[in-house]
Amino acid sequence: MNEPAPEFNSHRGADVSRMIVLYVAALSIALLLASTLIVLVTDASPLEVSEALYRGSFSSPSAIGFTIEQATPILIVALGSLIASRSGLFNIGPEGQFAVGTAAGGLVMFQMGGPPAVVLPLTLVAAGLGGAAWAGIAAFLKAVRGVDVVITTLLLNFVAIQVVSFCVNRYWLLQERTGGRIDPPQSPLVGESYRLPRLGSPTGFNVHTGFLLALVLAAAVWYAVSQTRWGFRLRMLGFNPLAARAAGVNLVVLGGGALVLSGAFAGLAGGVFFTATGFRVTSGVLNYGYEGLLVALISRGRVAAIVPIAIAFGALRSGGGYLGATGVPRYMVDIVQALIVLAALMPPVIADRMARARTMRVIRSAARVRESAPAVPS
Amino acid sequence: MDTPGADAPTRDQPDHAEALSMRGITKRFGTTVACDAVDFDVRSGEIHGLLGQNGAGKSTLMKVLTGLLTPDAGSVLLRGQPVVVHDPLAAASLGIGMVHQHFSIVEALTVWENVALGDRAKIDKRRAIAETEELSERYGLDVDPRAVVRDLSAGQRQRVELLKCLRRDPSLLILDEPTSVLTLQESAELFRILRSTVKQEDRAVVLISHKLDEILASTDRVTIMRDGSVVARMDTADADAPTLANEMVGRPVALERLAGALGLVDVAAARDAGDGDAGHDFDRGTSPPVLQVVEARVHADDGRPLLNGLSLEVRAGEILGLAGVEGNGQAALAAVLHSLVELDSGSVSVEGTEIRTGRAGAMMDAGVAVVPADRHAAGCVLEMSVAENLVLDNLGSVSRGHRVSRQLTLDNARRLMEEFDIRASSPDSLMGALSGGNQQRVVLARALSRSPKLLVADQPSHGLDVGAVAYVAEMLRDAADDGMAVLLISAELEEVLSLSDRIAVIHRGEIMGVLEPSEFDSETIALMMGGQRA
Repeated sequence: MNEPAPEFNSHRGADVSRMIVLYVAALSIALLLASTLIVLVTDASPLEVSEALYRGSFSSPSAIGFTIEQATPILIVALGSLIASRSGLFNIGPEGQFAVGTAAGGLVMFQMGGPPAVVLPLTLVAAGLGGAAWAGIAAFLKAVRGVDVVITTLLLNFVAIQVVSFCVNRYWLLQERTGGRIDPPQSPLVGESYRLPRLGSPTGFNVHTGFLLALVLAAAVWYAVSQTRWGFRLRMLGFNPLAARAAGVNLVVLGGGALVLSGAFAGLAGGVFFTATGFRVTSGVLNYGYEGLLVALISRGRVAAIVPIAIAFGALRSGGGYLGATGVPRYMVDIVQALIVLAALMPPVIADRMARARTMRVIRSAARVRESAPAVPS
Repeated sequence: MDTPGADAPTRDQPDHAEALSMRGITKRFGTTVACDAVDFDVRSGEIHGLLGQNGAGKSTLMKVLTGLLTPDAGSVLLRGQPVVVHDPLAAASLGIGMVHQHFSIVEALTVWENVALGDRAKIDKRRAIAETEELSERYGLDVDPRAVVRDLSAGQRQRVELLKCLRRDPSLLILDEPTSVLTLQESAELFRILRSTVKQEDRAVVLISHKLDEILASTDRVTIMRDGSVVARMDTADADAPTLANEMVGRPVALERLAGALGLVDVAAARDAGDGDAGHDFDRGTSPPVLQVVEARVHADDGRPLLNGLSLEVRAGEILGLAGVEGNGQAALAAVLHSLVELDSGSVSVEGTEIRTGRAGAMMDAGVAVVPADRHAAGCVLEMSVAENLVLDNLGSVSRGHRVSRQLTLDNARRLMEEFDIRASSPDSLMGALSGGNQQRVVLARALSRSPKLLVADQPSHGLDVGAVAYVAEMLRDAADDGMAVLLISAELEEVLSLSDRIAVIHRGEIMGVLEPSEFDSETIALMMGGQRA
């Protein structure tokens, strides 16, 4: 007598094929648009541009290594963003957490003496803690005053840039003394022996160990969110905070913790970038934070998807650098990248609009039927 | 039972043409046939009851009619004209309006804003208010257009839903379990309004209900569905409760067990006759209180008192029924016992130990399990699987260290699904894909699987069909007989009367008095619900 309710999934097959078509179409349109723009703006042909992108990113072992190097901070940031979004708190401040992490790492690196085996790990730890503390401000405001996390994390990005700028303009903090008349706002260079070790041959394929760290983190995040009690509670909190609370999940502890942890990932990404790629703390915006956020967004919360997407973003960065060397403006790469992100995000939106349009057609035809029907007696 | 036989329209009256004819409607989901060549007719000027258990196909039929589902076969005729209904908006424009069981109104908006919601033209505030006022007066709905929906009781919210619907001037109005959250008086009022709407304006109403007395008292004709087919159609005047129940379930039903929940007999009288305490394994008289609430006070955000010095005791082995008009603090009390709300003052103790209120999971750890009134809000996570929902608050039992064991989770789910007769295609089915009755079973199974000391059941039969109501009643009775303390909060007096060992009556956040079985009397309780102390 208690029948199972029918589950309304009969259209799922059709939906999947429609989504695939939409994705292919969206990406094609994005590439077409990009090509047109390139032809209009530069003298180069789209073919040349894509060839340059390929040369810079995947054509040789060293290019692949460079792509991976660019992808590493993006990947680490994206993993952190995934943790926060699972808990229902959207951390859009990884850029600022990344910057603060870099500066915190820099302070340990340049202010603390000692052998590399001690200083380097502590630098990374400090970077993580710096990012965590920065995200912690948003978590604290959420916990005590209920301030919206999206707003605080976003605005703290701008504060972070100012804080780092302050640091690299003070000799007693991070600024380098060059002996010249005007010192640029940047830290000294990290010494050779204090950098993250590299694997592979210097002229061929080589990656820094930060990438291995990122892969280990990816595996750890996958395990934590999908297999553990912590991950289970995190999902519960993200889907239904009220049910989670009734089941003993504390929003402040678990949600705030997730936010702080995602900040730690962004900070660590800054530390890895600082000790493996950048070697200096500067006050510029590097966009690794925002790109990591985009990667997490496109992956729709799946760890397995985050790794390849992060590498694709890394390829755009490395290929873009190469492209810049051929004379095509660097901003073209940003435009191409933006178009690709849009293309990756559009299909669900388009599918929704198509459903709406169908509905509207039906309403109009139904209205016609009603008009032709006999009047309702009253 | 009083029936409106005299009002029933006669078949040969030409004015009462078929407002709706559904012919040979068939809908399959995989191998399940939800509707099997169903014919369904509703005349103008009648209230037509649609009766059936969960899964009988009545929701599927109404979803076809309102355009939520496309039938595999069959046709729909409105006033003799064939129509194709692709979606709810098309249904609305065809003059089909539906008031859903789960409210679809925006809490943060005012009544008139909700009513005007969905309008395409520029919204003229003054006109919209006037229109809402006029409608509400015409139908005697008594709702202030400027009130914010958040502040309204369930009954008033339902009136807003009804207003929204009536404003579109539907020729066919479908009501899905409309009285599940209403008090007796509110229900009576609703049916009075419906009756006048139908009579004066020649609309047709389809009333989906599981309450036999409601069907008997307020419909003209009734169609009964079972297993995807129509098993009976009759004039309500020719029907009686046993007939309807038997047709619906497909076998003779022991009505006494359901009687209270269905409001069919004077249960208080039956209890006075002496069968009330039969079968108890537990001596309630001497058992210690499991739950003690002392002088509990809670205020709403706007300063209104929700609990106003409420004191209450529930003993092991008893069902304490909490009767009262909805909106008198029941929700606040349940929320306190669910660790969702902190007391301003007063205390809650479980087995003599004071429990900190408002702290996530504290009540649960103390042995309090809650079956919440709105299972979608705090009772389950619709986006997670059935197996996961069965261990939401009990992860430790299926974990090895920090790792949640999938095997243990599935084993636990299969065991509970079997024990509590939860029908889902697999333990991995999403909670949101289950019917309301099955969702309630999941919530109940999870609560009981922890062997709590106190079970708080807040409107546990809200929106469930006959079979599920009886099942829930049985579960609560068994739990109490096993020595559990049960606090039953219900807006349905019959349910409280039929299940409780003692009854406490709540009014404006205070207990008006606690009645022993010998004092159970609908009239006394009604007076206390109105604010008179025992």
